[in-house]
Amino acid sequence: MNAERAIVKTGSTTNCFNRAVLAATRRQALPIAVYPGLALTGAKVSDIVTNPVAQVEAQAALHERYRTSFVLSAMDLSAEAEAFGSAIRFSEGEVPTVTGRLVTDLAGVERLAVPQPGDKRTAVSLEAVRGLRGLSGRPLVLGGCIGPFSLAARLIGVSEAMELTVTEPELMHALLAKSAAFLGAYVRALRDAGADGAIMAEPAAGLLSPNALGAFSSAYIKPIGESVADGHFALILHNCAAKLPHLSAVLASGLRSFHFGAPMDLAAALTKLPSDVVLCGNLDPAGVFCQCSPEQIRVTAADLLAKTSSFSNFVISSGCDLPPGVKLENLDAFYDAVAVQSASPTAAKLN
Amino acid sequence: MPDLKLLHDAVLNGDAKVARTVTEEALAAGAEPVRLVQDYMMPAMAEVGRRFESGECFVPELLLSARAMKTALAILRPLLVTTGVPPVGRVIIGTVQGDLHDIGKNLVASVLEGGGFEVIDLGTDVSPEAFLAGVREKKPHIVALSALLTTTMPAMRTTIEALEEAGVRREIKVLVGGAPITQRFSDEIGADGYSDSATGAVRLAHDLLGV
Repeated sequence: MNAERAIVKTGSTTNCFNRAVLAATRRQALPIAVYPGLALTGAKVSDIVTNPVAQVEAQAALHERYRTSFVLSAMDLSAEAEAFGSAIRFSEGEVPTVTGRLVTDLAGVERLAVPQPGDKRTAVSLEAVRGLRGLSGRPLVLGGCIGPFSLAARLIGVSEAMELTVTEPELMHALLAKSAAFLGAYVRALRDAGADGAIMAEPAAGLLSPNALGAFSSAYIKPIGESVADGHFALILHNCAAKLPHLSAVLASGLRSFHFGAPMDLAAALTKLPSDVVLCGNLDPAGVFCQCSPEQIRVTAADLLAKTSSFSNFVISSGCDLPPGVKLENLDAFYDAVAVQSASPTAAKLN
Repeated sequence: MPDLKLLHDAVLNGDAKVARTVTEEALAAGAEPVRLVQDYMMPAMAEVGRRFESGECFVPELLLSARAMKTALAILRPLLVTTGVPPVGRVIIGTVQGDLHDIGKNLVASVLEGGGFEVIDLGTDVSPEAFLAGVREKKPHIVALSALLTTTMPAMRTTIEALEEAGVRREIKVLVGGAPITQRFSDEIGADGYSDSATGAVRLAHDLLGV
């Protein structure tokens, strides 16, 4: 038994997302796409991140167009930091960004109050989940949130957080305790709002060493996952910077569902995991979805599908959140490639 | 004279305090600044870069080594100038207009400094006009543009266009980088080079300047 399999076997339960993927007779697709729906609804990015109705409408439009098995709330990774009190820069056409550093030292961390789920724009995500629950076809509803290390890094500064993991780890752990306390409550609130699961985005942790990722990210995600592991709710850990050497440390989170970005060698990762652990990924949002032609996207997606065709626990996806500028014809090409592969003889392996 | 291997190891291990102490002690004992840089600090940064590329160290370790290098260089730079040893080249770096992300930009700036370049960091959300003003004032050899967002990638093109319209484009090399950037995009907007890693950016900068 390899190290990765040994890690996953220990005391973990499955969830509705994995069951849906493993029971499917066609290759499942889960591009992290809400903002591209703006092309169908005419709303602005600023509407998506402030108005749950606009968010649901954008996702519903994509769901209608592609008949997706899953629907998502928008990835808005400044909302949780805003709830803590971080300054945010808004603009009409861009996803909001955290500005400045909310805390700089241990005293500041100790003074930092942990917000409540629903504070500031976290209310938008909770309300969007309630709205998505009502969509036709009963797709699985996946909420979204940031991961504990990435939230802590937004509060104290990303570059600074990187260095502090080495120079002042106790400071980072104090901040992470508050970050994780909020996120645990927030994930449970997403579940209570009707989400079948949530994608937890932990991009900054992929820049750490595997050991540091384990200590500063997975160790804090594990209790959050355990607190919502009811056999149904799916906490899906997204890490768009992690590479194959990080896999064991990511798996130490104890979760059963993972979503990786372009740096991960998915075909290799799939060989290291039990067949009931689901991996999603990993076509580059910018390099593929934004900058390739539809034909190039068909070829690239088909290539990834071919490499992973023998794994029923694989879900083809974008490697990260798709930005607002992705053309619908490019998303069409992606779904075309999935449909073509599902209709091919190799698709029988999924049965 | 202190054991100068300690300076090498301080940069390698990202210990800015030791790097400063050893540098000061070495100078007090009569060490040549250029020898400290070329024989101890730059080989240490080269080793850090090698370890980063091979996956033996990661972003935090790279940032700390660059900080140690920068700390020692801050002491040595004035002495290098007065003794006629110029930096490898001068670079203006910034994240383009509309984009507030700085981790990639900081990483490249730090590693460029570690590679012997003088780096002028204009920060984030830098307008084409601010880049142009920086070029006119600082006379860099290279302008390095960073972007994390697909929505701010076009600002790289407008920045290059502003440099062309002002008639300074031929005097400089333009490097671009950031998560959504590709070689194809770099070619499309007329940049001189693209790298998908900080260590690659330093190699590229050396290659472009022929140093």
